[in-house]
Amino acid sequence: MPLNIDWQQILLHLLNFIILFAGLWLLLYKPVRKFMQKRKDEYEKQDAESERKQTEASRLRAQYEQKLADADAEIEAKRADARKTMDAYAAMRKNAAQEEADSILKEARENAVREKEKSVREARREISALAAEATEKLALRETASEAFDQFLDAAEAQEKKGDNE
Amino acid sequence: MSKKQKIIFWTIVSAVVVLLITGIILTNGLYERDASIQESMQDAILHENDKIDLFGLPVNPGLISAYLVTGAILLFAAIVRIFVIPRFKRIPGKFQLVLEQAVGFFGGMASNNSPHRNNVLGAYIFAAGVYIFFGTLFELVGVPWQTVNGTSVTLPAPLSDINGAIALGCLSYVFILVGGIAANKGRGLLRTLKEFSLPISMSFRLFGALLSGMLVTELVYYYLALSFVLPVIVGVLFTLMHAVVQAYVLAMLTALIYGEVTEPPVKKESARSHKKQTKTQTEVTL
Repeated sequence: MPLNIDWQQILLHLLNFIILFAGLWLLLYKPVRKFMQKRKDEYEKQDAESERKQTEASRLRAQYEQKLADADAEIEAKRADARKTMDAYAAMRKNAAQEEADSILKEARENAVREKEKSVREARREISALAAEATEKLALRETASEAFDQFLDAAEAQEKKGDNE
Repeated sequence: MSKKQKIIFWTIVSAVVVLLITGIILTNGLYERDASIQESMQDAILHENDKIDLFGLPVNPGLISAYLVTGAILLFAAIVRIFVIPRFKRIPGKFQLVLEQAVGFFGGMASNNSPHRNNVLGAYIFAAGVYIFFGTLFELVGVPWQTVNGTSVTLPAPLSDINGAIALGCLSYVFILVGGIAANKGRGLLRTLKEFSLPISMSFRLFGALLSGMLVTELVYYYLALSFVLPVIVGVLFTLMHAVVQAYVLAMLTALIYGEVTEPPVKKESARSHKKQTKTQTEVTL
């Protein structure tokens, strides 16, 4: 054969390479690939797990934020209610105070009227006393006893009149 | 450098010197040149005069190289399988990283070029890549071997033997053919047969690349004047470079064509509907 090509040696080379191929596949390629694939699977699994946890955390966060927003709204509503109640209570207290003030004023006015009447009566009594004293002084200038009797009569008559009124 | 490190350094240097001297004395007779450069290069290509006895069968030195490389690789793989892989960690160390990179590189190449069917392909191109790479680097070791004539020969790269290159090229073609038939039956067979020149191109590309490297190295080593400094560049860097390139090229070509022949056929209806859809989209755009 040209170039020293020898079929027998080609077959021997083939046998050699096939043995090498089988040996390397079983001893090196397959175990290393298996190890690498296993590690890759583990990392992918971890990735998927972290992705799932991330999604779960996001969902929980959204849920908590929603709850927080609901709580804010609820607090605002309760605050408005409290304000409303406070306003009503203040109005009630104001009305009560007004009523009490009116009552006090009325009583004060009545007292004032009574005091006035009392003062008038006392003034009238004092005037009467003064008049009597003046009359006495006047009567003493004529006859004291006559004048005194007249004065007594006059006073009695006036007292009766006052009782009748 | 501490005292302990100095002792280790000088011990290693002394051991290397002693080994070199021993090697020179022992191999003195083996390295006698008794041929012209033309004869040496013809022998390097054809191996007609330097057959080696393999259990009574005269074979090319490349076949012995192939068996030695395969044995070394399998031994290494077995050691790694027994002692290293069970201790693999989730965060890899340096050696684990190298192994994972190598396996991941060929696995990735297989899955990228043949996304539909790539399980065995990855292992095949991994084995082929490793074989070509370490087989090419093997010529740097320069293992001497006795021929049937009693002379010595330095074992070449396995694939610089045309029989080895043909074997790997044809096996790759058969592998693609089997993959095509398994994936697409008759269609896969026809698709593979369409690439009828592939085994020849693959075989001779490997043979040519490896042989040219070896011939240049042989030429350089033949003359004493060129044996200083230059072999470092020619012998090591060029060998490393074409080891990487050839491993990559064969793996890539095999993966690429395997991906083409195993690709599931596109249904006519879907193609027609796709065309219709594209037309509608164009009309909408207009």
